[in-house]
Amino acid sequence: MSRELNVEALARVEGDGGITVTLDGKKVKSVTLDVHEGPRLIEQLVRGMTPADDLNVIPRICAICTLSHRYAALRGLEKALGITPPEKTQLTRELMMLGENVESNSLHTFLLALPDFLGYPSAVAMLNDYGDDVKRALRLKKFGNHVMEVTSGRIVHGENPIIGGFGKYPSRKQLDEIRVKAQELVPDAVRDVELFASLEYPAYSEAPMVFMSVNGLKKKYGFAGDSILISNGKEVSCEDYKKLTNERVVSHSFAKRSLYADKPFTVGANARMVNMGKRLDGQAADMFKEHFNDRWLTNPLYNNLAQAIEMLWSLEHLPEACEAVAAMDDPKIAQPTRLTGSGTGAVEAPRGTLYHHYEIKDGLIDVADIITPTAQNLDDIERHMKLTAEKMLAEGKSDPEVRLGLEMVARAYDPCISCATHLVRLKRV
Amino acid sequence: MTRPSPKIGVYGFTGCAGDQLMILNCEDQLVDLFGATEIRSFVMAKSDNHEGELDVAFVEGSISTEEQLKKVKEIRERSKVLVAIGTCACWGGPQAMKLEEGGYEERYKKVYGNAKIAVSKAFEAQPVDAFVKVDLKIPGCPIDKAEFLKVVTKVVAGRHPYLNKSPVCLECKWKENTCMLNEGRFCAGPLTKCGCGAICPSHNIPCVGCWGPTDDLNVSAEYKLLKEKGYKPEEIMTKIKKFGGAGVAKLVKDLEKPKEAKK
Repeated sequence: MSRELNVEALARVEGDGGITVTLDGKKVKSVTLDVHEGPRLIEQLVRGMTPADDLNVIPRICAICTLSHRYAALRGLEKALGITPPEKTQLTRELMMLGENVESNSLHTFLLALPDFLGYPSAVAMLNDYGDDVKRALRLKKFGNHVMEVTSGRIVHGENPIIGGFGKYPSRKQLDEIRVKAQELVPDAVRDVELFASLEYPAYSEAPMVFMSVNGLKKKYGFAGDSILISNGKEVSCEDYKKLTNERVVSHSFAKRSLYADKPFTVGANARMVNMGKRLDGQAADMFKEHFNDRWLTNPLYNNLAQAIEMLWSLEHLPEACEAVAAMDDPKIAQPTRLTGSGTGAVEAPRGTLYHHYEIKDGLIDVADIITPTAQNLDDIERHMKLTAEKMLAEGKSDPEVRLGLEMVARAYDPCISCATHLVRLKRV
Repeated sequence: MTRPSPKIGVYGFTGCAGDQLMILNCEDQLVDLFGATEIRSFVMAKSDNHEGELDVAFVEGSISTEEQLKKVKEIRERSKVLVAIGTCACWGGPQAMKLEEGGYEERYKKVYGNAKIAVSKAFEAQPVDAFVKVDLKIPGCPIDKAEFLKVVTKVVAGRHPYLNKSPVCLECKWKENTCMLNEGRFCAGPLTKCGCGAICPSHNIPCVGCWGPTDDLNVSAEYKLLKEKGYKPEEIMTKIKKFGGAGVAKLVKDLEKPKEAKK
């Protein structure tokens, strides 16, 4: 007898998706993460635009990682146009990424993921029992938003970071406020790490994993890089992103897509910790040493703890980032040295590596190719969901328990379905 | 006697989820908001969602699949008031920038090939009011927190909120910014609904038009002005249509044809 087990609308994620488990008797035939989100065809719409116009439209792919999209686009477009951004521009971009990391990681860990572990339908429903924790998370999230607003001009879809520079740099007063506030919030972030370290991470989905992340600039832990680290020890230039992400077999089945080196892979905070965790410093390094263990290499649920540690690292680095920016004079906007060229930008969005590849001809966008972290993670999400379904059903768990188990795996990846909508192409072409 | 809490639903269609995110970004009011209203459905924020009759439905995003079309009609039927939130819901958003040009099928093919997508049939994105009656529009990319909270408090009390009617230029004057059009820079401020606080011009960046068209907009005057400043017609069109969607589609069509034919 075959039957289906559905999660029609996957709640507490960004975008419209669902999960379908197809069972043949007791055997799990397939588990798919379905995307219902409508297509926008944005890569086609920006063809023929100027790079500046492209930069207005492209970050609208996603609200949560809007600055990651903007930063990836800037890196790709500036490479194509032969622009080296001034040092202050680079430092201010790094500052804005720290803000986005705090905002997105606090939103995901507390508001989207934590209620599952504690048995609540939402963070707001946790208020009576976990009021301090929820309010602490909201404080962190608000502060992350504030950093994004000061650097990019607005909480969401700020236009201030432009090609070659910034419209306006943050003032010393604004930077001082951020520096002081970040220092104040460090103990909050430490408590968050302790909370996420104290959770029980079910072992249903455990299986060896392959992780990818950028190799941070100047070989430090960070959210941008020109090459990609793979947990098998290899390193590949980000210009070769297609080899890492697009080697996909033609298939008519929902469940099968192509893989890197015959294996699905994972991007995200856990991947960054696996590849660059030894580069962490401060209390984040202590926390990492205390809590990192072999289960991280097999269990995607540890992405939640990885995000909490990363949020602490970001907060600890905000003060020095503010000081570095404040110490420099405002540079002129760097101008293009050519109008035809191509380039790929790779950055670490909170949920994983994001690629923006551009080909520019006579000053207009000819090709735009965007590979989002969720599109890369999909194969591995489905693999770990299938393992979870198999093990939970074998143990005789009820349908609601299995559903929750599957949702926890999907949510641990912090999926961004709006971003990943064009992944449907990857399944079917 | 206390009044029953107003029943609210928050829904997202094709877009970036930024307007729903802005609701979650009301960190200081979020707890009160969930306390003062009965949030029946908000899939992005919680998992215990109940679809039934609503006092107010907030709808984000444009409509671009048959499945969404069915769903938005169904939401309309069970909601007393339907509020479109964000530029995508109000005007279609960037994905509707080529509404009056056609060519959707071709672009779709370039992305998805000839494969049949089993999920739902897709079509060119359109604003919510292309399909169902919309009672109020809160534009923005994304919406402004303060404006959203203002509308919520009025609407749940059964009152009509005041909504902005002026272009961004008004807020630029309040901020004493220098006019960028006078400097020859391409600013979409005169065409764009205010409410953002003229953020971009205040950062020395011309308005990109992301809040969509303002009331009584004069597209032909802006077009003429920019042409005089030396901008190419194609570039002007791209910038006007980028966020204008259904709000400018017709105006742009009327504008382009006779004038471009003479050239």
